[in-house]
Amino acid sequence: MRTGELGQAVGAEWSKLWSVRSTWWCLAGAAVLMVVSALTLGGSTATDMLHGRGAQTPFPASQPVITATLFVQFTLVALAMLVITSEYASGGIRSTLQATPIRGRVIAAKALVVAPVMFAAGVLSGGVAAAVVYAALSTDLFGGYVTLPPAEVAVDLLRVGVFLALVSVTTLGVGTAVRSAAGTLTVVFMVLMGLPLMLLMTGSQVGVEVSLRMPLFAGLAFMGGTGDLTAGLIPYSAGEGLAWLLAWTAAAVAAGYAVLRRRDA
Amino acid sequence: MITLNGLCKRYGDRPVVDDLSLEVRPGTVTGFLGPNGAGKSTTMRLILGLDHPTAGTALINGVPYHRIRNPLRTVGALLDARALHPGRSGHAHLVALARGNGIARRRVAEVLETVGLTDAARKRAGALSLGMSQRLGIAAALLGDPEVLMFDEPVNGHDPDGVRWVRHLMRSLADEGRTVFVSSHLMSEMQLTADHLVVIGRGRLIMDAPLTEVIARSSLTAVVVRTPHAGDLSVRLSAAGIRVERPGENEIVATGAAIEHIGDLAYEAGIRLHELRTREASLEQAYQELTASSVEYGARKAGV
Repeated sequence: MRTGELGQAVGAEWSKLWSVRSTWWCLAGAAVLMVVSALTLGGSTATDMLHGRGAQTPFPASQPVITATLFVQFTLVALAMLVITSEYASGGIRSTLQATPIRGRVIAAKALVVAPVMFAAGVLSGGVAAAVVYAALSTDLFGGYVTLPPAEVAVDLLRVGVFLALVSVTTLGVGTAVRSAAGTLTVVFMVLMGLPLMLLMTGSQVGVEVSLRMPLFAGLAFMGGTGDLTAGLIPYSAGEGLAWLLAWTAAAVAAGYAVLRRRDA
Repeated sequence: MITLNGLCKRYGDRPVVDDLSLEVRPGTVTGFLGPNGAGKSTTMRLILGLDHPTAGTALINGVPYHRIRNPLRTVGALLDARALHPGRSGHAHLVALARGNGIARRRVAEVLETVGLTDAARKRAGALSLGMSQRLGIAAALLGDPEVLMFDEPVNGHDPDGVRWVRHLMRSLADEGRTVFVSSHLMSEMQLTADHLVVIGRGRLIMDAPLTEVIARSSLTAVVVRTPHAGDLSVRLSAAGIRVERPGENEIVATGAAIEHIGDLAYEAGIRLHELRTREASLEQAYQELTASSVEYGARKAGV
């Protein structure tokens, strides 16, 4: 039964993920970074409003979390990368392929472990960060601009989780194709952050159009970020943002599969 | 049972495994010998489906590796003992492998006990000595209680006790009816362990024969005769097409004939013998003769 074997492979990947220390370090780092950067970003926005700069409209505690996610993603990207590149570096990939010789199943199993873990990491650390932002910034001292509408915050947090899951699986795909940690990090950073900003700065029509479809802005559109970065910039819906994110993820996984299937381990 | 059929692997123009056809049979320890770079490790990777052959097939019980369900329960292999995440404990490594192939969790403790690594298995794999890493690799190979086992240089890094332990393990696995395919550089070790030998050089099959036959075929395996009539006998032996040397006044070393044949010839000629015995070549000597022409790096340097 094929699904049974996939389930076993997922179990093996799950065991492997939690039996190395780097997993815990990356997750703890992501949580700390999420809280600290959300607090800083939220504090900055609230202080600006307090001093009469910009529109003085109350904002949900999840909004600085969404912006913070753009920084936090790289901690989780590092973790997703290690899931595959550490196996190439150590030769452990051969042991993995001995146990699971169907190579597509190896990538599927890794993705099925990485995606829910990153989703949970995003939702939980984002939830903690939103709670801290609200507790610290909703006071009169900061003008009381930070709000906590439960439904809106919940949806924002779920979207943060989905975004982080998707960029992590994208990283997994890139890592499977590129194999080295340094190369993977370079490619992923360029796709997630470097290229979209560079293309945006060129100011050319094509450059901007492409940039807006890359994971950075597609993610902001999907997560409903209304921060300064994107004010009035993204010309499409949250749904379309998700579609672009999925397309990037699918392309990366397909590239990883194409390489893993053909190459000698 | 491992079956190779016209197996080829090329990297660019360079053939690493060149038209290899052979069978590795159950119930025996088959030694896999060849100089460095002869293609032994590549052959093992091809059998496990880690590398893709350029041509030919490598089958296990008639099917390619990737078609075996829960392959660790059919084939156990130790390729490179250091090839695992240095930060993961040996125990966790085995647990992950067991989960991946539906192997009962208790097997992890069992195989760790078998290889004598119960205590060290909680340490980070990167902190293990080479000998301990080899034991962990052997534990991983035994995990699924497989009927086919492959070991690439399993005695590397072991102390003398460890070497003896590996030898007994190979022997007992074969005695249980399993297929045991093991590569090694240590000829003296192979001579004690293997029943059957496969020798390759530059990717090509040089010999596929029982150990006893490999040694018997060596030119260094000879019949030593001591007789007061050495001159007389050597003439008769030469006449019968047997190659003869005279290392001493009363001594003859004859090659290319069975000891019985030489004894009979002496008897027919009425020549009195004081000694008649076989001097066996060591596997080391037989091996060197076989591979002399195909020592990869030696051959290369000669051309420079």
